[in-house]
Amino acid sequence: MSQVQSNQVAQESIHGHEHAHDHHDHKETFITKYIFSQDHKMIAKQFLITGMFMGLVGMLLSLFFRLQLGWPGQEMPILETFLGKWAPDGVLDPNFYLAAVTIHGTILIFMVLTAGLSGTFSNLLIPLQLGARDMASPFLNMLSYWFFFASSAVMMVSLFVETGPASAGWTVYPPLSALPEASSGSGLGMTLWLVSIILFIVSVLIGGLNYITTVLNLRTKGMSMTRMPLTIWAFLITAILGLLSFPVLLAAGLLLLFDRSMGTSFYLSDIYISGQAMEQTGGSPVLYQHLFWFLGHPEVYIILLPSLGITSEVLAVNSRKPIFGYRAMIGSMLGIAFLSFIVWGHHMFVTGMDPLLGSVFTFTTLLIAIPSAIKAFNYITTLWKGNIVFTPGMLFAIGVVSLFISGGLTGIILADSALDVNLHHTYFVVAHFHLVMGVASMFGTFAGVYHWFPKMFGRMMNKKLGYIHFWVTIISAYGVFFPMHYMGLAGVPRRYYQNFEFFDGFADLNVVISIFAIIGGLVQFLFVFNFFYSAFRGPKAPKNPWKATTLEWTTPVKGIHGNWPGDIPAVHRWPYDYSVPNGEERDFIPQDEALSEQEKEAKVTH
Amino acid sequence: MLMNIALIALIVLTVLTAARLLNVIQAAATLRGQKAHEVSESDNQLNAFIWLLYLVGLLGMFVYLTVKYYNDQFVPQAASAHGEEVDSLLNLNFIVISIAFVITQVLLIWFSWKYRYNKARRATHYAHNNNLELIWTLVPAVVMAVLVLKGLIVWSHITDDDEGAINLELYARQFDWTARYSGADNALGKANYTMINNDNILGLLSAETIMEQMTLLRRDSTVTDSSIVNGFMPEEKLSKEKTRLRRIIHQIRTIAGFRYEYETGAETFASTYDDVIVRDTIYLPVNRPIKLTMRSQDVIHSAYMPHFRVHMYCVPGTETYFNFTPIITSEEMKEKLNDPDFEYRLYCNNICGATHFNMMLPIRVIDGEAYDTWAAGKKTFGQETTERLAAKGWITRFANNN
Repeated sequence: MSQVQSNQVAQESIHGHEHAHDHHDHKETFITKYIFSQDHKMIAKQFLITGMFMGLVGMLLSLFFRLQLGWPGQEMPILETFLGKWAPDGVLDPNFYLAAVTIHGTILIFMVLTAGLSGTFSNLLIPLQLGARDMASPFLNMLSYWFFFASSAVMMVSLFVETGPASAGWTVYPPLSALPEASSGSGLGMTLWLVSIILFIVSVLIGGLNYITTVLNLRTKGMSMTRMPLTIWAFLITAILGLLSFPVLLAAGLLLLFDRSMGTSFYLSDIYISGQAMEQTGGSPVLYQHLFWFLGHPEVYIILLPSLGITSEVLAVNSRKPIFGYRAMIGSMLGIAFLSFIVWGHHMFVTGMDPLLGSVFTFTTLLIAIPSAIKAFNYITTLWKGNIVFTPGMLFAIGVVSLFISGGLTGIILADSALDVNLHHTYFVVAHFHLVMGVASMFGTFAGVYHWFPKMFGRMMNKKLGYIHFWVTIISAYGVFFPMHYMGLAGVPRRYYQNFEFFDGFADLNVVISIFAIIGGLVQFLFVFNFFYSAFRGPKAPKNPWKATTLEWTTPVKGIHGNWPGDIPAVHRWPYDYSVPNGEERDFIPQDEALSEQEKEAKVTH
Repeated sequence: MLMNIALIALIVLTVLTAARLLNVIQAAATLRGQKAHEVSESDNQLNAFIWLLYLVGLLGMFVYLTVKYYNDQFVPQAASAHGEEVDSLLNLNFIVISIAFVITQVLLIWFSWKYRYNKARRATHYAHNNNLELIWTLVPAVVMAVLVLKGLIVWSHITDDDEGAINLELYARQFDWTARYSGADNALGKANYTMINNDNILGLLSAETIMEQMTLLRRDSTVTDSSIVNGFMPEEKLSKEKTRLRRIIHQIRTIAGFRYEYETGAETFASTYDDVIVRDTIYLPVNRPIKLTMRSQDVIHSAYMPHFRVHMYCVPGTETYFNFTPIITSEEMKEKLNDPDFEYRLYCNNICGATHFNMMLPIRVIDGEAYDTWAAGKKTFGQETTERLAAKGWITRFANNN
């Protein structure tokens, strides 16, 4: 008996036992069911809704600074209504402009696209798609959510402190972030930022350990690694990336805390500020950047890979075709994951780093183009000769591929040290990473929400609203970020509060971008409305609404603790048996369906 | 206040109305026999059609923006020697990614449209093809190899040292720039951050500035606040005062070291005297290589001169360098761009605080002779120091000390 099987048996007996209890003498209270829940499905919803709330906050902040960028200096009373002293007479304060930029980035990258995306779908899908009763440790899982909640709460509190929230950019480079004298946001706001991020790292580590353990140990009978859906592969690799890189951010953050409050000089050296020469010498601000980007670059893939995994799944289901090149997809994800650890220096070509290092990082970074190209072409081939159903989830999945290509290609330019010199910290970079990492991952999240909503709430979201949401969002996304490439090529620096007249009249383009941003922002409320309306009042979902093969659709519509009322189904085939030419009318074969005589003879075993 | 309540009421009412409306619409759809999880024929056709419009729009936007904004007017030609190489490399990259962009987007959207759902058809079960996958591994690999190689060649040219370059320092602090020319000896005098004061913002070292700074520090180090002497100072203020005094002691110790070097003759600080400090407009000679040395007083700044394709961080505690040669004078550029107000500019391009966006300096590139004349007319740091100390009446005192 293999390790996996024996674990499986153990798990069955434990959970089977617990399960029997549930029916007889356990009455779940409101608190154990909705607040301190240890059920992975409820925790997934908690992650999702917290992520959505944080997403709205991050988006509102971006609209505030888009108003300033589109119409610099114009009095807008709405800003004063929202921001009070940070927008005297309705004009955004330059300090708060930087704070908004900083917190927008932090919230979107960490709270929304790391926790909101990975937290939601890893929790929901790992047990359901692998055939497990729950996560390996439901308690740690609950803890992971509450650390994330605490982290989000501290970040929200930091918005309201007297001296303002952190405002040194989401990368919080010292010395700016280390010296309250250098920027008002580097006072209490920055301390809270660090506390929030440390809590966040704890959440990611606890969650990641749990995801990895569950994937490796709790797969149902027959679910070999190469029969896992690509979503699970993506979550597994993401969790490993997080486990290896987030501790480095923790170290970077702790050293920064020491520099801020204990007079150490890890990052500080030879600084003269507010009329005084500080004692610290010998530290290096560039050290911080090395540590930060050692997390920072894998973080890009921590955000992107789950979205690509979801895309693989949604594309296959709705094309009614197997994903093209299943093994190549796994291989390219592993390749991207490995490379992501040796490319961090491409964020630092102009920090004064040795030019030889610049050459090395250029080389390693451009290698990532190869696995990325494989993924893009495999997605496209998956659509080829498919029979495509445009559910809202499918639209978003195709959108992910389009954005992944558009945003990814410009990475080839930025990876080249010689070209990065003039584009570093310009709007070209803003355009690049928002398309490939920001919007693409956001679209992956939306694809996942529309696709698995029936699994989360047992009801269907409204399709028509979903269509409007998709089309308006993708048009706005391109309307906002595509023109930014051209501002960047002309050398317009990012994080500028105004002064666009120096760059050959990009002022009018900024107005267009801001209008698209406002439209794109407002239409998200349509999604929020659709989400909450459908969760309570949407039409009841059938058991397998998309006619998919994976195990989550074999569970009852109304989720139960333990997921399957009876035995856990065993798996007999890979997850992509769509439109198999077997003469049947049905165009999919669920994973838990035994091989037919015909198949056994043909030995079609994936 | 009333406005706000009205606004909130309006939002609540809108949401409730929308929910009611959606309820009715969905009930009607159920009555017509539509299933919420099935995509109707018309919906599928409509979305497939919008995908086509999307493709046209995306490619149209790409062409429009490229024609309108990627030209000499918006992206002026490089005004430096290495900048020309960078631009041709950029153009090559731009062409490669444009081709990849158009091919992949067209295939993606065309397939989405062409293979839209048809009840009568069955999708082709096509799981993998090793040859195809090999092709789209190898083709990008080869293209990348070419781009990497070309990139590294240009990179090595950018980072090469130029023989006989003029040494020029760019000094950054919140929120302005100072340029320092190395003068007749083409060597930048030494500096240290403990030497900084209002009259010596770069912290340059010379016998006179050492004496001056020591005098100032001695004055600052006396405790004048009577409340501290009487023990009435609040704790917070007291701790700030302690920090200030500790920092001054650190400064005095450091500077004493420099003074010792000077007094023992180990160091004369000779190259400081002919340095020239400029704070309004940077003048550069055309066709002469420049070696920029960058320093920062407080936080990380970044010296960004987009017209010259020059960009380098200014990092407190260390020096950074960038070599370049301007090849187009300001006058020529004004003609080329047909813009009489054109100026080259030095921007700060690393977030450095509230008025980061406003930290800039104009640069004027002039011909060599005009530059020499301009440079000859500037007062040196040595002269400025002597005049300043004379005005304070401190020179004689120093002489007596010696």
